[in-house]
Amino acid sequence: MTPSRQVGRCLDDEHRSHLELLNRVEQALGRSAGADVGTIAASLLHHLEHEIGRHFDFEETQLFPLMAEAGDGDLASLLTEEHDNIRAVADELAPLARAAAAGAPEPAASAVLKRLMLELVERQVAHIQKESMALLPLLDDLLDDETDRQLAFAYAAN
Amino acid sequence: MKPPTRRLAGGFLAGAGSRLLPASLPLRFFGAGVVFHAGAWLALLAGAADWPGWHGGLGWPLAALHLITLGTLLCCAIGASLQLLPVATRQPVRSQRLMAALWWAYVPGVALLALGMGRAEPYWMATGAAAVLAALALFGALLGMNLRGARGMPGVVLHGWGALLALALLGLSAVALVGLWLGRPLLDTGAARGLHLLAGAFGVMGLLVFGLAYVLLPMFALAPVPDERRQLASGAAAIVAIALAMGAAFGAAPTALRLAAIGAGTLALVLHLQLMRQTLSAGMRRDFGRALVLMRIGWSSLALALLLALALVLGAPAETFGRLFGIAVIGGWLLSFLFGVLQRILPFLASMHAARGQKRPPTPSALTLDRPLAWHLVCHVTALGLLAAATLGAPAALALATALATAAALVGLAGALCFGIFFAVLMRRLQQARGGGNRPPN
Repeated sequence: MTPSRQVGRCLDDEHRSHLELLNRVEQALGRSAGADVGTIAASLLHHLEHEIGRHFDFEETQLFPLMAEAGDGDLASLLTEEHDNIRAVADELAPLARAAAAGAPEPAASAVLKRLMLELVERQVAHIQKESMALLPLLDDLLDDETDRQLAFAYAAN
Repeated sequence: MKPPTRRLAGGFLAGAGSRLLPASLPLRFFGAGVVFHAGAWLALLAGAADWPGWHGGLGWPLAALHLITLGTLLCCAIGASLQLLPVATRQPVRSQRLMAALWWAYVPGVALLALGMGRAEPYWMATGAAAVLAALALFGALLGMNLRGARGMPGVVLHGWGALLALALLGLSAVALVGLWLGRPLLDTGAARGLHLLAGAFGVMGLLVFGLAYVLLPMFALAPVPDERRQLASGAAAIVAIALAMGAAFGAAPTALRLAAIGAGTLALVLHLQLMRQTLSAGMRRDFGRALVLMRIGWSSLALALLLALALVLGAPAETFGRLFGIAVIGGWLLSFLFGVLQRILPFLASMHAARGQKRPPTPSALTLDRPLAWHLVCHVTALGLLAAATLGAPAALALATALATAAALVGLAGALCFGIFFAVLMRRLQQARGGGNRPPN
């Protein structure tokens, strides 16, 4: 199931590391009522502040226009809508996670943090599911060798 | 050639939006299935005293059986097929009016048929059966049109054609059985019953369950589509097994044909389970909780049913082993698998409908009330265990068997009500989400 294009492999690697992180968060939150929500939220900070934006921006600016040109605009729209929903959760979650990283959150803030982290996990896992099954295989048809090389280089340099 | 994952997911996801039926169409079939499920346990409760000595004649146990098979299993399978098959086979959605008409003929027909069976009113039963058969003919036509134009997914399509052929045989055997009760025999009683059981449980439902698993499991587990040649081999073995067993039901070399049918059925199951195991081990989400537990109960029950069938062929008492075989097939395999699937696809389908025109729509878990599903699982397994115990106790202790059947009906009813609460809450949250007010919390 490994994608044959370099871009596909980069995105697949990131999906797998995102899934690993999200699974860890989900398991930690489900482990017990006394889970350290603040520490778990802090572990998500880099993901919220850097990874999500970088990954989504690349797909939206470089890949989705190519998909639309090739007649897969419906799928590109669906994935863009999901990006917007995930960004909205991340925007709400990031300041709370930053505060939690600085000190233990109040019980009320912990409850909101937990709810938002679980929402992020559910939305992003479902989104990765769609991209792994639909977007990555599509790249094999969509990119020629030269475009693949250029995009992979641009993504790595970003 | 496009990779297999693309054939499923690209078509599925890109087409899912445009091929999404109005929520009320598939959900009305699932809703009826949920209500009939509770009705089945109520019917068993009404006929608990008859259960130990029941031999397949008219009465509440027969009504309970048909409320499960036609009311719950087939009704939900129709709803799932109408929504999933056009997406999986990249076919346009057929007339929505026909789909609505199908529900209006089928659901009251099943209710009248079950009432006629329970109250031993052959003419009510015949009227209900006529409505059900008309609805199934319409469903068969819709399914046939879809399969004829199918692109891709050859394994799923083979199972679909097998189920369609079995649907025709199910209708034929149903006419023969109703004819018997009306005093106009068309077929020998044993042959008609055998054909009916095989066509209904294994042919229609069994093949749909095997075929739709190749669409659903990869979706749930985030895995590639299973090897299509093996899907075809498993499907072919299953169809051969059913055909051999049907031949045996008509009295042609019954022992040899039944043994061959069990062999072919075992091969079909082994291949199917290998594909399911590969799907789960290759998936990025290997554990989907309670739904997977129910599916595993389903697969184990089918293996148990094949062992019970072998015992029957080798001379085990038909009274006890035949009934245990029925419980393993209908309750253990088909019903468990169905509820495993329903608790995954209902929130997913509802969230897709809730998402239409909404910013940050609710997630499937935000629409799900989880606790009743946990209780449903416990009640489902306990009820089937009690029913099996009632069957084992029946020859020696009638009073004990009746008490156990009553307990099974009560526990099963509690489980059905729990699933009903999950469904009702899901519908309410979907309505809230679409109305824009009182959005369910994510």
